[in-house]
Amino acid sequence: MFEEMTSSDTSTLTKDVTALDVPWNVIVFDDPVNLMGYVTHVLMKVFGYTEGRAATLMMEVHDLGRSVVWTGEREKAEFYAQQLQAYQLKSTIEKTE
Amino acid sequence: MKVMPTLEGGLRIDAEGAGDWALLDALAGDAGQSDLARRLGELVTEDEVAEDWREFVVPDLADAFSKDVELVAKRITAAKAGCGGEEGPLWITRDDGDAWYSTLNQARLELEEHYRFGPSEMIDPAEFAPEKRLAFMRSQFYCAIQSLLLDHVIG
Repeated sequence: MFEEMTSSDTSTLTKDVTALDVPWNVIVFDDPVNLMGYVTHVLMKVFGYTEGRAATLMMEVHDLGRSVVWTGEREKAEFYAQQLQAYQLKSTIEKTE
Repeated sequence: MKVMPTLEGGLRIDAEGAGDWALLDALAGDAGQSDLARRLGELVTEDEVAEDWREFVVPDLADAFSKDVELVAKRITAAKAGCGGEEGPLWITRDDGDAWYSTLNQARLELEEHYRFGPSEMIDPAEFAPEKRLAFMRSQFYCAIQSLLLDHVIG
């Protein structure tokens, strides 16, 4: 947004910039070790998802090799990914494009 | 060896002799070699966070994983000493459930990392060399205990 302010001998141009933070994805990868029931359990515990929602995401991980399990602000994404790794799930965070 | 849930929300493992204790003793060794925290850290590749992740998160995770293994090793050693390495019980309390699951998982992840068993539906242990076959059997045993933990203790 631009706003022009004038006086008798000066002219000042100000610019307000509002930039939204780019959302970050929390991603879980498939692996041949973690039990499907455990992955569901962890997603329920970390994100508070219902069993149905968590099981759907777990199946997506299993079938597609990875799933975006949460999207939002960076600090929370880091916190969630750290928790997932503490539960030994292969996980990371990525900026959305 | 027999494994059963307890009324207190834990598990009881009845070791039936030296062979069972040797199998249980192997757990801490398998898990203790784990470089899991570093491998998990390598999954974080975004430039803005990767360096801090390796500097701050990875050491915390490594410390937590290592404490879980230490606790489980201590429990096994104490239980084995309690029965002189013969027939006797090993109790997994509800409070210890997460540490046990973590240790079993570290052991399985490490064995998978080392031996690359692959997806379970593709595995034919008869085709494995003896060392790999033994490792696979340990992994299957750990997995069975994990399933019981998930069903009766931490789930």
